[in-house]
Amino acid sequence: MTRLYLSNDTSARAAGADRLAKAWAHTPGLELIRTSSRGAFFLEPLVERDMPGGRVAWSNVTPDDLPRILAGSGGAPVSQIPFLSRQTRVTFANFGVTQPLSLDEYSACGGTKGLERARQLSPGAMIEELKVSRLRGRGGAAFPVWNKWQIARETASDRKYVVANADEGDAGTYCDRMIMEGEPFRLIEGMLICARAIGADTGYIYCRKEYPAAAGTLRAAIERAERAGLLGSGPPGSHGTGFHLEVLVGAGSYVVGEETALLESLEGRRGVVQARPPYPAVSGLYGRPTIVSNVLTFAIVPSILARGGEWYASMGTERSRGTVVLQIGGRVKQPGLVEIPFGATLEEVLERFGGGMAPGARFKAVQVGGPLGSLFPASRLGIRICYDAFAEAGAILGHGGIVVYDDETDMVELARHFMAFTADESCGKCTPCRIGSVRGREILERIQVGRGRPGDLDLLADLGETMKTASLCAFGGRAPYPVLTAIEHFGEEFRRLMK
Amino acid sequence: MVEEGLSALAAILERCRLNHTTQSRPPNILQSLLAIQKALGSVPLHAVGEIAHALEVTEADVAGVLSYYPELRTRPPGRHLIRICIGESCVANHCDRVLAALRDALNIDVGETTMDGRFTVQRIYCVGNCAVGPSLMVDDDVHGRVAPQKVGELLNEYE
Ligand SMILES: Cc1cc2nc3c(=O)[nH]c(=O)nc-3n(C[C@H](O)[C@H](O)[C@H](O)COP(=O)(O)O)c2cc1C
Ligand code: FES
Repeated sequence: MTRLYLSNDTSARAAGADRLAKAWAHTPGLELIRTSSRGAFFLEPLVERDMPGGRVAWSNVTPDDLPRILAGSGGAPVSQIPFLSRQTRVTFANFGVTQPLSLDEYSACGGTKGLERARQLSPGAMIEELKVSRLRGRGGAAFPVWNKWQIARETASDRKYVVANADEGDAGTYCDRMIMEGEPFRLIEGMLICARAIGADTGYIYCRKEYPAAAGTLRAAIERAERAGLLGSGPPGSHGTGFHLEVLVGAGSYVVGEETALLESLEGRRGVVQARPPYPAVSGLYGRPTIVSNVLTFAIVPSILARGGEWYASMGTERSRGTVVLQIGGRVKQPGLVEIPFGATLEEVLERFGGGMAPGARFKAVQVGGPLGSLFPASRLGIRICYDAFAEAGAILGHGGIVVYDDETDMVELARHFMAFTADESCGKCTPCRIGSVRGREILERIQVGRGRPGDLDLLADLGETMKTASLCAFGGRAPYPVLTAIEHFGEEFRRLMK
Repeated sequence: MVEEGLSALAAILERCRLNHTTQSRPPNILQSLLAIQKALGSVPLHAVGEIAHALEVTEADVAGVLSYYPELRTRPPGRHLIRICIGESCVANHCDRVLAALRDALNIDVGETTMDGRFTVQRIYCVGNCAVGPSLMVDDDVHGRVAPQKVGELLNEYE
């Protein structure tokens, strides 16, 4: 029996993994194991097999490659793929190795160690460990995790909730999806640890509708965790039966990813942003103390408990500790997931991991931090990837999305696209965002068709300033940045149309 | 057909109602509407009154949720729902060319359904397949590295 490993991740499947599985299904002597993905998506579909000395991989495989693989010829040891060997994998260490729904494999690869450690600690000691780790939330706002947990723990209430924000709205990001599809027990473990620390008995994972495979895998994983006794299987509220965890699926909308909007949506209402305070850690779901954290944030927690806060804090820069999970997309040669300590420059990341531009493409700009992130031209790639450097530059790391645009990209059209997105997705609660985005789109549309008026670029700058300072949440507050950085660095393209 | 739809609706509403009474909290309008859409293909506008009544909320509450979420529909889509990604990573990978090919192949614009009821086309901001874009989602299948000239062939898989 020859055992081959093939990823079951949505992007591996979109690249052709299912086609291989189908073509090879009835091959005698072949056992096909579906794993998570290593995140080296430019190599998918990637097929691996155990050889003396470790896994060997064949990349961009087609059905006809099977004889070659079975003969063991032409593959490369996984340990020698530079895209992977240059990374510091912590949260994504097991990706591409294990089967997503095998709790045994998860435990064998270090899983559940964090929970075991947490069981030996008092809630206060758990929170202290997170404080030492200096972990900050990975959903965008980068708030210290321990602090939020402390507030929820100290707020007295008959019930408390733990909510995983799996809305992953930023285009260009996919690490939450990979976690949910590839190592769902890691998310569950992180939520369980949080529940112990704050004293919660119920949790929800709010998963976006665009991720049907993730929702399915999570539900299956929850069922297994219940059978293994990790999770309680009683209905929510039946005290004493352990932590009850459930997946709820959303119905579109970017703004629903904002934590107060997310809680509104979880309760079944319109996903509209609410004024804070109170913060969810004090008064969240059904008015109870609630930890809302990003999927990746929860997924980091088990490693910190298992290996200690000091170990985690030893990586990264002064105020950005640990590893950063970047997701490279757009016109690079090697799109995929990169986990490295904070502190490398954007240029290093694009060269060492992105591998430069896709064949035939020339660099124009890179956007970091999703649809609300700033654009960087070639002259600004020296910026360090950490919260401070980005804040200083008026930019955001967001959820770690990096999108590279080539020189065929029309910057005026791109700016219009950003404002159209804002107008489409604004929840409508505050005026600067609701009206400002429509006005912004209109101005850009008239510039685009050659009807721009003198002063339109100043008008956009003014409008941007109003949105930045007067919007209720970071959606309206950040929406002007991609547009204004497009004008700042590529102004000539706008002015040319306004002559 | 209409009657079948209505009794299915009543059954779902009963389940939704039970769900919230056992948990002693207000009814979850969004999850109820998603369950209805799953069973009926859409949430017909004429059912809003009945839904509101069963969930013991106002019609405005139901209509408000229904109109807020892009994935909730008041009319059933074609047999297959095509979602073309226009998220930034796919924009960078020139998804406008895929959209043009889609328009050519189907003769419809975004938001429309083909005459034979086979396809509805929608825009979407990211399906999490950014590293393998441009992306096209047909029903629950995600297709990656979609070449504009291959769009017709890809759609042949869907009857
Ligand atoms: C418009 C908007 C959209 C957001 N979308 C997401 C999202 O999709 N996923 C996420 O985890 N956080 C998102 N956030 C951040 C959340 O409000 C919140 O800060 C986060 O979930 C907290 O988790 P963390 O502490 O782990 O970062 C968004 C914020 C805003 C303003
Ligand atoms: S931007 Fe298209 S899949 Fe993410």
